[in-house]
Amino acid sequence: MSEGLADGVGVARAGHFETVGQQRAAATLGIWAWLITELLLFSALFLVALITRILHPEATVAAAKHLKFWIGATNTVVLICSSLTMSMAIEFSRIGWQRAMVRAMLATAALGGLFLVLKGYEYYADWAEHMMPFLSSRPFALAETPPARLFVNLYYVATLLHAVHLFTGIALLLGMTWLAAKAGFLSRHQNWIEVYGLYWHFIDLVWILAFPILYVVNR
Amino acid sequence: MTPNHAALELWPAAVSATASETDLLILAFTVLTLLLTVPVFVAITYFALRYREGSEADRQPSGIRSNLIEISWMLIPFLLTLIFFVWGARLYITSRNAPPDAMVIEAIGRQWMWKFQHPTGQAEINNLHLPIGQPIRLHIISQDVIHALYLPAVRLQIAALPDRYTDLWFKADKIGTYHLYCSEYCGTDHSVMGGEVTFMNPGDYQDWLTHAGAQQGKVAAGRSLYEAYGCAGCHDPGSAVKAPSLAGLYGSPVKLADGRTVTADETWLREKILNPNGDRLAEGTKQVMPSFAGRIPEDELGRLIDFLKSYTAPASGKAAQANP
Amino acid sequence: MSATGSVGGTARREPHAPEATLGRKADYLHADSTLRSWFLTTDHKRIAILYLTSITGFFVIGAFAAGVVRLALIVPNGAIMTNDTYNKAFTIHGVVMVWFFLIPSIPATFGNFLIPLMIGAKDLAFPKLNLTSWYVFMSGAFFTLVSLVLGGVDTGWTFYAPLSTAFSNTWVLPALIGVTVVGFSSILTGLNFVVTIHTMRAPGMTWFKLPIFVWTHYATSLIFLLATPVITTALILLIMERGFHIGVFDPAYGGDPVLFQHLFWFYSHPAVYIMVLPGMGVISEIVPAFAQKKLFGYRFVAYASIGLASVTFFVWGHHMFINGQSDLASLVFSALSFAVAVPSAVKVYNWTATIHKGSLRLDTPMLYAMGYIGLFVLGGLTGLYLATLAINQHIHATYFVVAHFHYIMVGGTVLAFLGGLHFWWPKFTGRMYSEPWGRVSAVLIFIGFNVTFFPQFILGYLGMPRRYATYPVEFQLLNVLSSAGATILAAGYIFPMLYLVYSLWFGRKAPANPWNAKGLEWETGSPPPKHNFLSPPAVPRIPYDYPIQAQESQDQHG
Repeated sequence: MSEGLADGVGVARAGHFETVGQQRAAATLGIWAWLITELLLFSALFLVALITRILHPEATVAAAKHLKFWIGATNTVVLICSSLTMSMAIEFSRIGWQRAMVRAMLATAALGGLFLVLKGYEYYADWAEHMMPFLSSRPFALAETPPARLFVNLYYVATLLHAVHLFTGIALLLGMTWLAAKAGFLSRHQNWIEVYGLYWHFIDLVWILAFPILYVVNR
Repeated sequence: MTPNHAALELWPAAVSATASETDLLILAFTVLTLLLTVPVFVAITYFALRYREGSEADRQPSGIRSNLIEISWMLIPFLLTLIFFVWGARLYITSRNAPPDAMVIEAIGRQWMWKFQHPTGQAEINNLHLPIGQPIRLHIISQDVIHALYLPAVRLQIAALPDRYTDLWFKADKIGTYHLYCSEYCGTDHSVMGGEVTFMNPGDYQDWLTHAGAQQGKVAAGRSLYEAYGCAGCHDPGSAVKAPSLAGLYGSPVKLADGRTVTADETWLREKILNPNGDRLAEGTKQVMPSFAGRIPEDELGRLIDFLKSYTAPASGKAAQANP
Repeated sequence: MSATGSVGGTARREPHAPEATLGRKADYLHADSTLRSWFLTTDHKRIAILYLTSITGFFVIGAFAAGVVRLALIVPNGAIMTNDTYNKAFTIHGVVMVWFFLIPSIPATFGNFLIPLMIGAKDLAFPKLNLTSWYVFMSGAFFTLVSLVLGGVDTGWTFYAPLSTAFSNTWVLPALIGVTVVGFSSILTGLNFVVTIHTMRAPGMTWFKLPIFVWTHYATSLIFLLATPVITTALILLIMERGFHIGVFDPAYGGDPVLFQHLFWFYSHPAVYIMVLPGMGVISEIVPAFAQKKLFGYRFVAYASIGLASVTFFVWGHHMFINGQSDLASLVFSALSFAVAVPSAVKVYNWTATIHKGSLRLDTPMLYAMGYIGLFVLGGLTGLYLATLAINQHIHATYFVVAHFHYIMVGGTVLAFLGGLHFWWPKFTGRMYSEPWGRVSAVLIFIGFNVTFFPQFILGYLGMPRRYATYPVEFQLLNVLSSAGATILAAGYIFPMLYLVYSLWFGRKAPANPWNAKGLEWETGSPPPKHNFLSPPAVPRIPYDYPIQAQESQDQHG
């Protein structure tokens, strides 16, 4: 396990583990187990969206026409780039380049932030177009097609849930970056970067599933 | 009109051939269950005594290969239970496919009552009169939440869904009166939302349709509506709200707050139900009755008023009753 | 090395102290008694005790609600309380008992305490996450109790739409939030167990040397991880529907209320196996110990645990046979429900075979275990009645179902919980409880339980629907009998609360292994030291290395 790491890079053993190898294996298995639960959470939601499409194809297509395809596509690229910078951070952590790792982590957080800004703009545009059926004060643009609101509302639930995960991810990332910039971090907690990286890739993966399911197949 | 039930019956009545077959299935499965459980109980009790610490029992292992034992007690009970899966599935499929010549009764469930519509137009609330000897299909829907219509006497129930119809069919062979329930929890009066299903000879059923079905059903239906819409909750004696009693109201004079005296006829009753704030009463008690405008369909309003027309005051002290 | 012939009379209780006598202050329970050391602990044993005390409190709340229900049902006409009060009582009984007692009961208490000990580890893989899970649990409980205090919720623990989303006027949202939050506690516990069991077994402790208790908790943890997220989604959608009318369960917008039932039961059926599997693990430890005999068919029982956790995901539709789903779906779910009974049956027969030719002591834990086996097999087989389609059409949503699941949950899980509590009480607390009181209570609970719930099978096939505040008068006799049984059961529950607490101060000090049981938890002090073992424990040659080793098991070496 520590063969792939540069000198001076490693993990400080916590008291209840017998070896560092055991500790790293536990952390990795732990994050995978957590990600599987998150995948199931989102999958159930996407399944409901697909069922909605099967039951109400025309209403779903009519609703999907109002989605901002190009913002969604740009956001997809933004997140993929952020996964790239996160992978770079992981690689830098392995070879001990602490400053480069910190910069890559900051870049990742910045790209994540850019996603949220674009998403916020997209929500604003949805509001302006009367595409928020849950606001009883604002008449829904597709009110004559009642099932259209099913798809639109599921779009909000799914993207909001994703945004919450992304926001949490950015907050954690910034906190971790602050810690990771300190001297001696890489000799004690290198695997935090790897474990966190898996979470970040997962957030990206959920969006890579959400984008086709919400934006693409219903055009 | 109580259903035919003894104080402590141990088996519910079965009025159709499929109900009887379901009973046979249950009894046969019980025999298998006993065969699979009693040996376990007996064995545990026996072993607990015989092999108690300190007893001189023989504890030599028997030498039978344990894999064989394991496979046997996995497969044999499983295959035996599968007999009941097949039997139950076949009976179920039969009950799911109504014959095309079945008489169709529309059933609507809502909080908290059932409305049944006979093909000849008669409607009943909470109770249902049916002929024996002919397939009946209940075509069921809900107006609000998910309910379920359950008739133990035919051993069948099915959900009443708000967005689509469901069907239940049976052919009864025995006359009698039995329970009719809602069996999907639906709120406050879930346990009150039911009544009786009466199976009658075909001739009696025709009689009922012509004579009683129109009249008798109507007033009984009206009484059910009086309760279902909450009128009883305020207007019956003993209510905390102390709304004026409606017994004997129809046709009597009513003093209004503006000094007029009116007769409580059908029109006045109807207006008061839809707009209680108009024509306020002279008594001075606070008017808290809610409006039922938009909440009660016209045909039910008519039935309610029919009930009020027959709701007479008691001679002395006894609870008010409607004439059947 | 297997024992031959009769062992009776020679297996005395020999307390053996494998390590030097601990000073009183050095064990996990007494080492530090500040509030901070308890509420900020990361020691899995202390967290187990935190869970034990809180779930006991929730059990009392749930049991009180049950008392209200049984009180109301003494009369058929609902004279004792309003229908709304009754509906709130059975709802809170279900919500509290399912999510705040049954699901965490054995895993979060015994699992937390014992898994590291049983595998020879110093703690779980993520001790801080473990503590977090308890705080998440208590937060979920807080929201649910807010709902209760504000006036209650009356949708039933199943929260079916559209009743829960558009028609109920009660405090549904806090209850839904509470249940959503508490799900995360389950996920964190399951995650911790899976990682611990995979990565932290002591050297030489291979999978097939693990006690069945560990196997069943591993299987349970798989269900925690794979099923709970789906109910989280279901509840989020329900909250959105109630709060924002998103329409997904509303027919007016083309939504489908039955979709909620699918999402709900996809989790809730496996959830009942979360409630059942850990109890099976407890029984698998008690029976060999009190028969002083190796568990019969160890590998089959281990595989059966995983089998249960797998097949359980494919039977959820058997809760929905009469809701208008397709006949094909009903046929498939019915057939699979018959299949899922097989692994449970395997365990019951294996426990019985373990007792055969053992050397039995009928102490309190064993009385509970024997009661469990009998009641669980009856409860399980009545499940097959419900799985039979034509029978289901008659007894669905009647008291037959209520009796079925109480036989499993109370006759099964609660009895396993109490049996385990008495079995491991000396280990957790360092004290022995009063054995005569233990036996009396076990018998009282067994009797009270059967008087309460057996009549409900009869009420069910007579056609009395469940969740009924009022009922036809001909059912009164059986209802009164059931309520009378409930008072006996309540008395049975109160005694252990009293004598167990009493033993904390006045009980005889317990030796490391009062039962002469096998398993690494018995190789350390009672109570254990903070880091579980003073020196690395010796992993056994085979699991359940009891004096009586049946010869037929020689081809099944671990």
